Amino acid sequence: MMPSPFLDTLEQLTRQRGVLGGLVVSEADGIVVDALVQTSVRSPVVAALAASLYRRARKSAAAAGLGAVHYLELVAEEGRVCMAGAPGYGGAGEDLVVVVVTDARVGVGLLRAELLRAVAALA
Amino acid sequence: MPASDDIHRWSAELAGDPASRVFLPLGEALRVRGQLDLARRVAVRGLERHPEDADAHDLLARLHADRGDTEAAVDEWSAALRYAPGHVGALKGMGFVCYRQGKLAEAESYLAQAAAADREDERIGAALARVRAALAAPAPRPSPAPSAGLPHADAAAHTLARPLADRDPIYLFADLIGGGEQAALLLDRDGLVLAGAYVVSGGVDVGQDIGAALTGISDEARRAMRHLGLGDWSSIVFESDAARVAMAPAPDDGIALVAAAPGLPSGLVRRVVERVVERARQWLGVTA
Repeated sequence: MMPSPFLDTLEQLTRQRGVLGGLVVSEADGIVVDALVQTSVRSPVVAALAASLYRRARKSAAAAGLGAVHYLELVAEEGRVCMAGAPGYGGAGEDLVVVVVTDARVGVGLLRAELLRAVAALA
Repeated sequence: MPASDDIHRWSAELAGDPASRVFLPLGEALRVRGQLDLARRVAVRGLERHPEDADAHDLLARLHADRGDTEAAVDEWSAALRYAPGHVGALKGMGFVCYRQGKLAEAESYLAQAAAADREDERIGAALARVRAALAAPAPRPSPAPSAGLPHADAAAHTLARPLADRDPIYLFADLIGGGEQAALLLDRDGLVLAGAYVVSGGVDVGQDIGAALTGISDEARRAMRHLGLGDWSSIVFESDAARVAMAPAPDDGIALVAAAPGLPSGLVRRVVERVVERARQWLGVTA
């Protein structure tokens, strides 16, 4: 079996303090493409939420003429869901979203930089 | 939205004939798809070949406006009007800029010329009607009032002098968002605009379009957070080419939204959206 092309990316992201899991999600249908998560993280729920949020953000940005969306963060009382888009992955035209679920201890600035770097590396 | 096939076809045509004017639909298509950097490169190269093409100046102006660079946009629209004095796109653009700067008489003049040149475009008529309504409004009291840039300063100052309940909902957040390139909206649970405005190039308020795209986002975030055991959600922030947008839950399952220039720190934009939520609570008569 071929190793996942996303494994290095996900391992890098999930090494950060406070990260509960990382996923690569198809933006079009909210399906998990790859995931490295703790057992407490329900991957299908995260994938569906992330894809939907990213799609809505992209549509609202288009309506306002704000250009492409690069990064999105949902903040909750006890954690965050952070994501960055990788449009047209691998030249196949598939829009992917790299997602990270965290607890409240996470260093947000560092994680944001890592996510954007990971997405740039995937392009 | 133009299909990828169109973009490929126009790109190939331009590669084969760099002097072709196909850079105009190509640049516009890339702009609509949010590929602003690429669109700008196409427009600039087109202008190098066609420096007196008013449409090319208009395209580059709108790309500048999309990025919030009003000064550069005005330069390009002014150039477009030098080469084609009745250019509708440039007249609309200049009208929009004057409107946002509170220069209502100048905005009215530009938009009236645009409307006369293109009677089919209902959005120009709507923008002109908005400007004329603002011009017809009673003069503001001669008391100092906070300035605000959206939708325009004169009317915002006028409404800010009134008690909260009597304010025009469009200007409800004008003093909170300041005079820069910011906008604030209060959306109800169905994505309908309750207060605020989001005016873009051409003087069009796209608040309802944004609301439509965000319908149900609050409910979805709440349910997902419950499944993940992360508690209630407090904000959603996204970054795009031209803005940093922050949203927060508002009363009655609504959403408060603030869009600011991409250079503003996230923390500051979050603070502004918190103030917008608090103002919405007061306005709606909701106790936190």
